[in-house]
This record gives sequence, structure tokens and C-alpha cells, in this order.
Amino acid sequence: MNNIYLDDVIINFGFGTKEEKKNFLREHASKSIYMDLTCYDPKEFYEEFPQLKGIFSALFADEAKRIEIHFREENPLVLNHLKELGYHPIQVSFTSCGFIFPRTISQIINEAYFALEDGIATKEDINRAMKFGVNYPKGPFEWSEGKELYIKTLLEELHTLTKDNRYIPNKALL
Amino acid sequence: MNINKVLVIGAGTMGSGIAWWFSSLGIQVHLQDESQEQLEKAKKYCEEQTYRWATKNKLDQRITQDLLQLVKFIKKSEWDHDYDLVIEAIIENLEIKKNLFKELDEVMDKKTVIASNTSSFPIALLSQDLSPERKVNFLGLHFFNPAPVMKLVEVISSKDSSQKLANDLYAWFEEKGKFPAHCKDSPGFIVNRVARNFYGEPLRIAAEDDEKKFKEIDQVLKEVGGFRMGPFELMDLIGIDVNYSVTCSVWNAYNQEPRFAPHPLQEKLVNEKRLGRKSKRGFYQYE
Repeated sequence: MNNIYLDDVIINFGFGTKEEKKNFLREHASKSIYMDLTCYDPKEFYEEFPQLKGIFSALFADEAKRIEIHFREENPLVLNHLKELGYHPIQVSFTSCGFIFPRTISQIINEAYFALEDGIATKEDINRAMKFGVNYPKGPFEWSEGKELYIKTLLEELHTLTKDNRYIPNKALL
Repeated sequence: MNINKVLVIGAGTMGSGIAWWFSSLGIQVHLQDESQEQLEKAKKYCEEQTYRWATKNKLDQRITQDLLQLVKFIKKSEWDHDYDLVIEAIIENLEIKKNLFKELDEVMDKKTVIASNTSSFPIALLSQDLSPERKVNFLGLHFFNPAPVMKLVEVISSKDSSQKLANDLYAWFEEKGKFPAHCKDSPGFIVNRVARNFYGEPLRIAAEDDEKKFKEIDQVLKEVGGFRMGPFELMDLIGIDVNYSVTCSVWNAYNQEPRFAPHPLQEKLVNEKRLGRKSKRGFYQYE
């Protein structure tokens, strides 16, 4: 994790375990925290930590650096700072574990891994099929490159939260 | 591999698109349907496609002049027997398809390759009653709508199909500008399986019948994810009943595996006849 300190505001970036994220919030109880919370349940964090004023999903950002951001307390300073760092934050009005894009794409990628495991097609053919059959901007394995840990963590969190076996990550992500 | 003469059966949207695409390569095509009205529509479609592509200079000049002569719109009684390739693109009904393939097996030359454009039936099931020689020359060729534009062709081999044939067709399509993908005979093949979560997960994120949420999810997936259409507007375009039916079909084919489970909202909207754009009300309201 890495942080940007702006007087009483801290913007927390990067991946951490749930406990690491919670410990960070505990250690900074007197500050206003805006945190990358792509992989964990925002409801749990908002309820437990009043100092958490907003959350965003930079872990899944690609070269276009478009991210989702949700404010419990809107702060233009945070928005400007993210923009200065090259991000394009898109404000969302409701929270969902994994936001909208990371959660949807994680499930698409997970299914691509299951299809690969079943020997349906090669990685290259699965990427090609999704790009040229339904116009996805990237193939699932192109999207997942370097993000396997985040995808696995998010799916495990969704599985714990919903008890729905649809979120069990494919073993290749482990 | 040489493909010089093709029969496409079924002059609906997919069949017409496939037929026109082959003709745009200068290949002789017979497009068969028993409905004269459907054949007339297909003819008009082919004329419009030719005009549209020619005005964009996307067609070989020599072919443009002959293109409309290359497609012959026929009834079953006019079938020849010497096609290099026959592609079936009729209604998704197992019995009708199987009967058609039995008939084709009997009348077509043994060298003729027979393919199905099915999006839901296992290829081995479609070919199970055919002669052993034909089973080897039978496979799935799954095009995407609109066929002249979409580059993907899923080349689906069953346990009986010749791997050499699948490889030759893959190479042939690639040479002709398509992007083929080899695929094992399995429910949903690649696209209809992997894409299920593009609908299923946003439905679970929305969780309720809330147009504001649908709009926000669509917008985020377009802006952040780079998708051309959001899942809710796309389901409205496809038809919520059609999408729900594909979801159920894949879910059942995978023994109700939770990853493919339909969402209760889909069934609710179908029951309320909110089928999307075609009924002027789906996830969104249309004027």
C-alpha cells in the first residue's frame, strides 16, 4: 500500500489484505481516509470506520486509468489529486462489493479460466473469440494479466459475503 | 482447402449474412428457404449489402459486378449435390435440424462438408444419426451477427469430426479475413459461455428492478470497461426472453452450475412481457 497525505486527508492506494486495510484505518482514526477498496465489502468498512469517507477501484485500472469512486463525504481535493495522478474517476452513487467493472470483469475472467481448464479452447482462441465475437475491448486473459491476486481476493470476498458458489475462484487464479 | 460452391440453408438474418459474406469472396452460393417471402427479404438484404459495401470500396470491383449473380435463392427441390460446404442456419429446433442433416447426408456427395451454425446444440448430438463417413465431415461453424461484419467464426469439432478438416477450415477462414477460434463441442461454445457473466453479474449488482441503477451500471461498464454497449441496453436489444432462454439453456447443460444461474429479475421481466426494445419496455422504457 502507499499513501498520499493532504493535511487531514489521506488517500490510500494499492493492494492489502483485509486486516492490513483495517489496521491502516485504525491507525489513522483522526484523519479522513479515501481508500482503494476494490477487493472488499464497502458496507462492512463504512460501518466499522467512520473516518473512511470514500472508496475507489484503482487496482483494476488499465492504461486509460478510468476508475470508479464512491463518496460518503465528497471531497474535491481528493478528486483533483486523483486527476493529477492521471486517473479519470467516475463517481458512482451506490456501493457494491468489487464496484461495477472489477466485479463484472472478474466473473468473466473466472469463467474464461474454467473454460480453459475444461479444454474448451486455448487462451489465444478464448481472447480472440471474446474480442471478435462480442467486441470486448480486450480478451479475458489480456485483462487478467498481473491482476490474478486481486481477482481471486475479490471473488473470495464475494463468496464469503453471499455464500453463493458462483464466486468460487478457479484454481488457476490461486 | 478449396471452397467454390456453398449451400446455406435458412434465409433468416444469420443465413442471409453468411450467404452474402461467402458471395463477397466471389464464391458461388445457393441460399435455400422454403418461404418465398423470406427469400425475397434475403435478396433485398443481399442487394443492400452489396450497394453498401461497394460504395465504401470494400469489395473487389470484379466481384461487385457479378455478386448478385453469385447468390441463387432457391427452394429445397433445387438443391445440387456437389457443394463443397453446406451450412445450416435454421430455427434452433433439435428434431428439425436432425431430420435436415439426415436428408443432407443421403443426398449430398460424400466429399461435401456439412456444418451447423447452431448456438445451443452439441455438434455430436446433431450428427449422431449420420453415416460414419459424414460424421467425420461434420462440424460446427458458429458465425456472429451481423455475419459480414463480425470477424469471429467458432470452429467446433465434435468427438467424431476430422481434426484435419477443422484445421483446414480454420486456415481457410483466416486467409479470407475472418478470425476463427477452435472450440471443443461444449454448451455455449466459447462466447455464449464466457459472456454469460456480462449479464449475470450486473443483474446481481443491480439486485432490484431499478432503472437508475441499470443506467449507472451501463454507463460505468462503457466508460470504465470500454464495452460498446452496457449489459442492460444490450439485453433490451437482444430480447430479454432470448437472453434468458440462452442463460437457462447453458445453466441446464452444465447441470445447473451456480456460475450460470439466471437471475430472478430475468424471469420476472419475461413474465411481465417486458422483453426489451421489441415490446417497448424492458430494463428501460422506450417510446
